[in-house]
Amino acid sequence: MTEKINRRTFLRRSTAAGLLSFLAVSGLSENAYGLSDEQEIGTVIDITKCDGCRDLEIPRCVSACRQKNKGRFPEPITDIQPYWPQKKYEDWSDKREVTNRLTPYNWNYVEHLQVDYKGKREDIYLMRRCMHCDHPTCQKLCPFSAIKKDVTGSVSINEELCLGGAKCRDVCPWGIPQRQAGVGLYLKLAPTFAGGGVMYKCDNCRDLLAKDEKPACERACPKGAILTGPKKQMKEYAQRRAEEIGGYIYGDVQNGGTSTFYISKIPFEAISEAIATDKMAQKDTGPGRPLMPERVDNYLESEKGIAGAALTAPIAGAALAAFTAYKTMKGEKVDE
Amino acid sequence: MSKKVLRQSRVNRFIHWGTAISIILLIISGLGQLPLYKRYNITKLPGGEWLGSFYNTLDLHYIAAVLLIFVVSFHLVYHGLRREFDILPKKGDLRESYLIIKAMLTKGEEPPADKYLAEQRVAYFFIGINVLVLIGTGMVKVIKNLNGVTLPQFIIAFSTHLHNLATVLLILGIGAHLAAFIFKANRPLLRGIFSGTVDEKYAKERHPLWYKRIKMRI
Ligand code: HEM
Ligand code: SF4
Ligand code: SF4
Repeated sequence: MTEKINRRTFLRRSTAAGLLSFLAVSGLSENAYGLSDEQEIGTVIDITKCDGCRDLEIPRCVSACRQKNKGRFPEPITDIQPYWPQKKYEDWSDKREVTNRLTPYNWNYVEHLQVDYKGKREDIYLMRRCMHCDHPTCQKLCPFSAIKKDVTGSVSINEELCLGGAKCRDVCPWGIPQRQAGVGLYLKLAPTFAGGGVMYKCDNCRDLLAKDEKPACERACPKGAILTGPKKQMKEYAQRRAEEIGGYIYGDVQNGGTSTFYISKIPFEAISEAIATDKMAQKDTGPGRPLMPERVDNYLESEKGIAGAALTAPIAGAALAAFTAYKTMKGEKVDE
Repeated sequence: MSKKVLRQSRVNRFIHWGTAISIILLIISGLGQLPLYKRYNITKLPGGEWLGSFYNTLDLHYIAAVLLIFVVSFHLVYHGLRREFDILPKKGDLRESYLIIKAMLTKGEEPPADKYLAEQRVAYFFIGINVLVLIGTGMVKVIKNLNGVTLPQFIIAFSTHLHNLATVLLILGIGAHLAAFIFKANRPLLRGIFSGTVDEKYAKERHPLWYKRIKMRI
């Protein structure tokens, strides 16, 4: 019964949303999506709808993201120093044209794969970017608090504060943020000995969300393969859609839940394997081309028990102290 | 063999070594939360590999934090209930510390000391404040790391920066604490914190006020 009402309200809302987005696209109204920076936002990436913009050299969502964010791309100094005592440093400034992986100059990309499924070879196009996790390990564990999570759920890196230690990439299950050396705060401190640049990644177009507008990648997509909206509705929509096609969702539970829901009719484990195989074939070991493992635990979840112990340790210590002090004050010899 | 007097009870030694061990582990594992060990090749040293994982060191940080918090709250309640406050700083301690260090350097006369030397009380206070700040901010970090908790950004940033600052100050404080034993005059105290007792002769000469008190109590 409630299910039916939900479905009906959902349909009504999605029809309304569809209508409104039509109005928006036709330029009548820019901020009529029911988005706002006061509520959680989610994104459905429906890979059954994406064709990778095969007619174009660069998929539209990727061009749109690059276009929108080009003013924020790093302009590093010319004589970048290696990360002492290491001999290397990460510099993408001469590879700005790379669009087939995550780099400081490319915050989303489309992974093109051929996957054998049910005896058929299928072409798959997967737009990849930051998942905007519910419990973002990158944000929680940044040792300088340079990463922020908005009420909308958007996770963004503050370019002014980031020192480029790349810890966020190490603790992100997908290794999303990418580093450019020779820019940022560390240059003002001890650039030879500490820091490594600035980390860059998708910020969910948080400035647009704040204005009730949709992210650039979604707006550029002619196939409706990217859909942003109130998170609860997006999740419900993803579930419904997955049911409809007998497919799978990725992102609803991974890393303890994210705000990005991929929909596919091919299991993600097979997709992940296909990415791994392709990377192997190309001897691609660099960062910025994440797999899609089915099982991704949120590491901080495993600290829960010991966190409870840390928060109750004061009581335990005080109790034992009171007991011991009482005994010694009564003159019992426990204290020599 | 010379006569000994009890200086540090078993409880005191438990507190001292409980905090010392947990703090050393917290420093090692805390520095592991900064991207240091890989970059500076510490992970390439024999036995250093585990330091390269943020998650290994985070586990250790949590465990050592439990021990530290337990011992610190034990200490505060135990010594509070027993009204033993010898180690709290007194007025004029900074000046007196200066006089003691000068005396040690010039082999001159020290002002008569109680159980603790003035500079020990100052060091206790400095280290103690930093440890309390680390515990307070550390607890905020633990809460922030719970799934489902999103603290306001300014609280996260404030606790992070204070945690980092107190770490630096604590390391300096512990460095000074250890450097005290470069002076020969301070070394008889080492015995006290390991086995509990010090030479009676040392107590009488260097801590006359304390010595008088314990003799009166017997
Ligand atoms: C002697 C005491 C301590 C020292 C020297 C120390 C040092 C550090 C350092 C250097 C970091 C990395 C920088 C950062 O993330 O802010 C860190 C992180 C952390 N510390 Fe401590 N710490 C101490 C005590 C504690 C205590 C008592 C707790 C818990 C109650 C705690 C909880 C944490 C947590 C959870 C992190 C991980 C990073 C994060 O979650 O933001 N620390 N610590
Ligand atoms: S996907 Fe990675 S970078 Fe994005 S929010 Fe999650 S942990 Fe952070
Ligand atoms: S949401 Fe914005 S920043 Fe993120 S991939 Fe899309 S266009 Fe790029």
